[in-house]
Amino acid sequence: MRRLLSIWLPLLAFALFLLFPFYWMVLTSIKPNEELVSVTANPFWVAHPTLDHIKYLLSSTSYPRWFWNTMAVASAATALSISVSFSAAVALARLRFRGSEGVSLGIYLAYLIPPAILFIPLAEVMLKLGWFDRLWALVPVYSTFLVPFCTWLLVGYLKSIPRELEEAAMVDGASRVRIILEIILPLSAPGLISAFIFCFTLSWNEYLYALVFMSSPAHKTVPVGLATELVRGDIYQWGPLMAGALFGSLPVAVLYFFFVEHYVAGMSGALKG
Amino acid sequence: MRGLSLDRGPLLPTLLLVPSAVLLGGLLAFPLVLGVLLGFKDATIGEAGNFIGLDNYRYLLTDPVLRITALNTALYTLVTVVFKLALGLALALILNQRFAGYRFWRSVLLLPYVVPTVLSAFAWWWILDPQFSFISWGLIRLGILDQHVNFLGSAWLARASLMVANVWRGIPFFTVGYLAGLQSIPKELHEAAAIDGASGWRTFWEITWLLLLPLTTILTIFSAIFTFTDFQLIWTITRGGPANATHLFVTLAYQRAIPGGALGEGAAIAGFTLPFLALLAWAALDALRRQA
Amino acid sequence: MRKIPRRTVLGWGLGVAAGRALGQAAKVEPVFKPEKDASLRLLRWSGFVKSDEELWNANTKKFTEATGVPVSVEYITWEDVRPKAALAANLGTGPDIIMGWYDDPHIYPQKLVDVSDVAEGLGKQLGGWYDVARTYGYSNRMRHWIAVPVGGTVECLTYRTSWTKEAGFDEFPRSPADLLKLARALKAKGHPVGFALGHAVGDGNNWTHWVLWTFGGKAVEKDSKTIAIAQKPSLEAIAYVQELYAQMVPGVGSWLDPNNNRAFLAGEISLTNNGISIYYAAKKDFPQIAEDINHSPFPIGPVGRATELANFSQAFIFKHSRFPNAAKEYIRFMLSPDQAGPWVDAMNGYVTPALKQYQDLPVWTKDPKATPFRDGIARMQHNGYAGEPGQQAAAALAEFIVLDMFADATVNGMSAKDAAARAENRLRRIYRG
Repeated sequence: MRRLLSIWLPLLAFALFLLFPFYWMVLTSIKPNEELVSVTANPFWVAHPTLDHIKYLLSSTSYPRWFWNTMAVASAATALSISVSFSAAVALARLRFRGSEGVSLGIYLAYLIPPAILFIPLAEVMLKLGWFDRLWALVPVYSTFLVPFCTWLLVGYLKSIPRELEEAAMVDGASRVRIILEIILPLSAPGLISAFIFCFTLSWNEYLYALVFMSSPAHKTVPVGLATELVRGDIYQWGPLMAGALFGSLPVAVLYFFFVEHYVAGMSGALKG
Repeated sequence: MRGLSLDRGPLLPTLLLVPSAVLLGGLLAFPLVLGVLLGFKDATIGEAGNFIGLDNYRYLLTDPVLRITALNTALYTLVTVVFKLALGLALALILNQRFAGYRFWRSVLLLPYVVPTVLSAFAWWWILDPQFSFISWGLIRLGILDQHVNFLGSAWLARASLMVANVWRGIPFFTVGYLAGLQSIPKELHEAAAIDGASGWRTFWEITWLLLLPLTTILTIFSAIFTFTDFQLIWTITRGGPANATHLFVTLAYQRAIPGGALGEGAAIAGFTLPFLALLAWAALDALRRQA
Repeated sequence: MRKIPRRTVLGWGLGVAAGRALGQAAKVEPVFKPEKDASLRLLRWSGFVKSDEELWNANTKKFTEATGVPVSVEYITWEDVRPKAALAANLGTGPDIIMGWYDDPHIYPQKLVDVSDVAEGLGKQLGGWYDVARTYGYSNRMRHWIAVPVGGTVECLTYRTSWTKEAGFDEFPRSPADLLKLARALKAKGHPVGFALGHAVGDGNNWTHWVLWTFGGKAVEKDSKTIAIAQKPSLEAIAYVQELYAQMVPGVGSWLDPNNNRAFLAGEISLTNNGISIYYAAKKDFPQIAEDINHSPFPIGPVGRATELANFSQAFIFKHSRFPNAAKEYIRFMLSPDQAGPWVDAMNGYVTPALKQYQDLPVWTKDPKATPFRDGIARMQHNGYAGEPGQQAAAALAEFIVLDMFADATVNGMSAKDAAARAENRLRRIYRG
C-alpha cells in the first residue's frame, strides 16, 4: 500500500502528463492524411494505420544523413565540453586560488547575448577562421553554450562530495593530480553522466546555429532538416515530421537507459572504501 | 624547479582552466563584445551603422511592447522554474527507488527533454490548436465543455499554455540533475535517521534537501537562464503573438533584428537580460559562499 | 538607367526561336557570358509544392548542360531565407544568388549587383513588368535594378460555393460591405468565415494590408516619413474588421499560416484568404471539397481599385559573387519562357510570375478555378505603400504592425483609436530619420 502511494500513483500521474504528447506523435506518424485533417474522427485512435510516412521519411528525404550528422556532432561536442568543463570545475571547486570568483562570475556572461542575436557576430569569427559550412565546426561552437553550464553543474556535484577521502589521501602523501584522477574523477561519475546527458541533449536539440552556419543540404542536422524540408510554406507534413522527431529522440533515450546502472555502480564502489 | 609544482600554487589550476579559457575566450568573448556593442549602434542588417550611445535603450524603455515583454518574461521564468523544480525533484525522488521496470521508466520519462525543441513545439502547437486540439475534443466529448478551447488566441490563456509546454519540457532537466545528486547521498544517512525514528518528511527536509542545496542552486539558476532566454518554443507556437502578448526578450529581439532588420535595436533588447544575469550571478555566488 | 542595345534584345528572341525551330532542347546562346570555371550557389525558399522544386532542378540541369556552369541549389523554409541572407549580406560571403522576399534587397542595396540589363531585357522580351514588380526590383536610391522580380504567391478569397449559395449569394461579393453581409449569413448557417489574426506571416499580413488599403488607409505617406496609420481611413478599416471578427470562427487570434488551410479542409470554415494550396490539397485528398471550392479576388472598397498584398519574391546577386555574369545568365535563363513556362505549369500556378506575358500560360485557364490567381500581381501594391521599399518597410512588415493593429482592436479588445495609436507609435520609431 505504501508503495502504491509513494511510487505507483505519482508515477502514473507523471507518466500521463509527460507522455501524452508522445502518444499523439506516435499516432500521427502512422495516421493517413485524411484522418489527420478530420475534426470529427477520434484523435485518440487510428482507423487505418499506415507506414507511408515513415517510408517517405527514410526514402524521400535525407533523414539518415541528418541523423548521422547530428549523432557525430553531438558526440564530439559532448566529449569536448565534458573534458573542458571537468578540468575547469575541479579547479574552481577544489583548488583554492586567486581570481576563482571572477572566473565563476564571468561564466554567466556567456549567456548574456543569446544565440538568436549572437549568431551574427559569431558568424564573423567563424568566417575568419574559415569554418563556414564545415560540419565539425559546430563542435566548438556548441561548446560555447555547453561548457559554462557543465562547469557549473560539475562544480555543484564536486562541492557535494565529502572531502574526507581527499584529505585522507593527502595525509597519505598523494599528489594533487593523483587525487584528481583516482578519487575525484570516479566519485564524479554520476555528475559526469548527467553532464553527458545534458550536453548530448542540448547539442541534438540545437537549431539556429546549425541552420545558419551550415549551407550544404548534406550538412543538415535532424532538427534543421525536418523543420526546413518537411514544412513547405503553409503545408506541414505532420506524419513524416513526427516520425522523424520520434526516431530522433531514440539515441538519447537509449543512452540514458544504459547509463542508469552506472549511477548505482559508481556510488556503491565509492562507498565501499 | 621548486616554483613550478603541480601540488602547490597556481600551476595546476591554471592548466586546468586553460582549455575553457581558450575555447570561451577565443570563440565566445569576441562575438559577445561585438554583440553588446551592437546595442549601442543603429546597425541594420545591411549597414554597420553608427554609434548612438544609449539611444536604443532610451527608446526601448518607453516602448509599451518591451514593457509587456519584460513582465511576460519575468512571469514566465518565475512560474515555470518553480514548477519544474518541484515536479522535477518529486519525480527524481520517485525514480530513485527500486521498483519493477524502473530502468524503463527512467529513460521514458525523460523524453520531453530529449525531443528536439523545435519538433516538440510543433507537436504542442497541434495539441493547442483552436480547431484540432484533442484536449478540446476530449473535454467536449466528456460533456465538460461545449466549444473548443482557444488556447493560444487570447493573451492570458496563451501565456498559460506556453508555460505548461515549457514545464512539460523542463521537468526532466531537474530530474536528471537530481537523480545523480540523490545517488550521491550515502544510504547510511537515511538509515541512521530511520533508526532514530525520523518521519519521511523530516528526513527529506533536514537531510535530503540540505544535501542537495548546492545542486538545487545550480539547477535553478541555469534553468532560470535557459528559460529567460527561451526562443524556439515560443517562436514556433505563437511567434510572440497574439499581438505581442507572449513575446520573451529573445523572441522580440530576434523579430526586430532579423526579419525586421534592426540589428542594433535587437541587440539592445537582448542586453536587457544583463540585470537579470547579474542578479543571478550575485545570488549564486552568495549561496555558494554560504555553503562552503 | 542603362539602355539595352536593341540588337541584344532581338538576339534573345531570335536565339530562342532558332533553338526551338531546330528542335534543340537548350542550345541557346547565353546573353551574359559566364566567367571561366564559374560555379553558382543559389539559396531559395522551399517549393510550396514538390513539383516546384522538381521543375526548378530540371531547369537548372538544363542550364548546366547549356553553359557548363554547375549550380548548387539550397532549399530552406521561406522564413529561414531571411537570417541566412542577412548573414551573407553582413559577412560578404555565402550564396551568389538569393531568391528572397519583399524588401530584402532594399535593405542592403549597396551590396547587390546591378541587374538592370537582365531585368530590362526580360521586361522587353516578355510583355513588361507589372508596376509593383518594378517597385520591388528597382532601387530609387541606387538608380538601377537591384533585383530581378520573380513573382508572387497570390492569395484569393477561397470559399465553398454550396455554402455561399445557401447563404443567399449567387454571385460572390465585390465590396467589403457585401462581404460582411455574406459573413453574417454564413455564420447564421453554421459555416463561419476565418481570417488569421495571429502572427501568420503570409495569410495574416496579406488580408490585413488589403483591408487597410481598401478603405484608403496606409501606413506611411509617399515621402516615407509621415506616418498615416492613425488617420480616419484606418479607423474605418478597423471598425469594419471588428464587425467581421464577430462573424469569424473562434481562435483566429492564434492562427499562423497553416491554420486556415486545416480549418477549411476540415469544413470548420467556409471562407478564408489563401494561396492556391488549399485547392490543390483538396484535389489530392478531398475531392468533394475541391469540387465545391472557388476563388475570388479580394473585394474593392472606398478606395476604388484593387489593393492586395501577395508574398513577393525576387532574385538578387551579391557583389561578393565571383561569377556575376554566370549568375545573371542563370536568372535570365530560369525566367525565360522555355524554363519558366513549364515551371509555373508544374506548380499549378502557385507562383504568379511578375512578367505580363506569362498571363498567357495555359495553367490559368486549364482549370477555370485557377484564373483569379493569374492577375494577382496586377492587383497588388507593395507592402511599404505608400512609401519606398526598404529597411523601414521591411521592419514594419516583420513586426506585424498593421496586423497587430487589427488584432489589438479585436482579439485584445482595444478601441480603434488606441490600436491605431499604438501602431503609429511604433511606426514613428521605425521611420525616424
